[in-house]
Amino acid sequence: MDLLDLIDTIQSIADGVLFGTTYALLGIGFTLIFGVMHKINLSFAAASIGAAYASLLILSAVKAPAVVVFLMAAAAGGVLGGLVYLVGFKFIPLANPLATLMSTVGLLLLIDEIIVHTTAGVPLNYPALFSDVIVPIGPFNLRGDLMFVFVLGCVCMTVLLLLLYRTKLGLATRAVSQQPTASQLCGIGIMRVNILTFVITGVVGGIAGAMTGAAIGMLSPLLSLPLTVKGLIVTVIGGLGSIPGAIVAGLVVGGLENFFQFLRGVSERDLYIMLLLFAFLVFRPGGIFTVAAGRD
Amino acid sequence: MLDVTDLVTAYGKIEALKGVSLQVEGGKITCLLGPNGAGKTTLMMTIAGVLQPRRGSIRLKGAELAGLSPARIVSQGVALVPENRLVFPHMSVYENLLAGAYQRHDKAGVNADIERMYARFPQLHERSEQMAGTLSGGEQQMLAVARALMSQPRLLLMDEPSLGLAPLIVAEIFNIIAELNRDGTTIFLVEQNAHMALQVAHQFFLMEQGRITFKGTPGQLAEDEVIQRAYLGTRRAAG
Repeated sequence: MDLLDLIDTIQSIADGVLFGTTYALLGIGFTLIFGVMHKINLSFAAASIGAAYASLLILSAVKAPAVVVFLMAAAAGGVLGGLVYLVGFKFIPLANPLATLMSTVGLLLLIDEIIVHTTAGVPLNYPALFSDVIVPIGPFNLRGDLMFVFVLGCVCMTVLLLLLYRTKLGLATRAVSQQPTASQLCGIGIMRVNILTFVITGVVGGIAGAMTGAAIGMLSPLLSLPLTVKGLIVTVIGGLGSIPGAIVAGLVVGGLENFFQFLRGVSERDLYIMLLLFAFLVFRPGGIFTVAAGRD
Repeated sequence: MLDVTDLVTAYGKIEALKGVSLQVEGGKITCLLGPNGAGKTTLMMTIAGVLQPRRGSIRLKGAELAGLSPARIVSQGVALVPENRLVFPHMSVYENLLAGAYQRHDKAGVNADIERMYARFPQLHERSEQMAGTLSGGEQQMLAVARALMSQPRLLLMDEPSLGLAPLIVAEIFNIIAELNRDGTTIFLVEQNAHMALQVAHQFFLMEQGRITFKGTPGQLAEDEVIQRAYLGTRRAAG
């Protein structure tokens, strides 16, 4: 391996880490919902892609700049999050762990089908920001659109952490996730916290969906299943219920994925990510930071 | 102050409360004694709204509480210190107290109350930034009491505050209960420790198998009989 190969390797890892913020956001979404409800919402990544699709509707009406499209995706994500709670959780008996798993798988398929039928399954172009900017750092070139995705992802995570640890709503959310009965006795409305968690994670998911579209340059219904799998892998590697874990795991999975794609090609890369998941499940099932912030 | 009439709460087909009626007088300490499985905790959870009753009424100064959500009941001025304390383990002592004041919006008042709690429970002050899950059992019990008081309750419900604590700590907890009562809080207490409970209580009820079987003041029944019935129940005591 000569110097040029090395530079290319590092370049691909860096690109992967930048894109990994998308995985981190998806992982946070899965983890937050698991935190408050102790349930997996399998439709989360599909709803995120759905929100990105919905944001394209505004482009069919007016010629809006990319920023507006991103904001639309966030808003649509919030609405979809609320709908997912209403359809997939509110009227489903929570005592049965499989019931909500089934209802969210159903929602995943439903969202996918809606996308396929409204777009005839043809991929649609997604606007990117700063796609013509390239920042050279020494021998490396950082793509402007990926840098934007990375910065947006970091801003999102910062806002989310501030929300969780500096506001009353965040206090209530953590209280519900740690001790649901006691939080009721403190006068916290569990249903309200649950709905808000779904809406907020929906907004985050919508932004992640838009970031995916912007980084790849297009949206396809084929994205939702791989993103669901990646989001779940990130959640498990980061540790169910751990937000810092989801962030780190998202960046690591993003970087490694691109690394293996560079070394072994696109058809093999997921194999190695699966092996990584396998290694974690066997040797460190609690995730990177082991102590999950879930139920005591 | 609190009037419970003919209250029935069931888990599926099994009735844990089979028509419970009792009264808690304002400004006093009322104690509920009974053996395991008598339905004491069920009664507390039903009054707090975590469990919904099938029949009967719960009135606080005439206002009906049955059917309200736990949050609404807290806003009516009822707070429960739950069995096993149930502190938020991964939140600091300070945040636990803040959670107790969740429904209050007077920031200055909440901060003043937190200072009052720190003055009353100095251990909590020392450990204000420590995660609640790392506290000792006695400290967690004090935190659970302080957290409940943060909602400024008119009626404080306590479910087995002495559970699993060392005798010295139990004595301290009962001192605190008597002190809170002197400061004007009405207390309704569930206890297994009949000896300690009878020392502080103004009146007490015995509960066996989902029904109230005795009502009186501590002097009215010999302590060993209370203890026998509270731990063993009437049926086995007679046999």
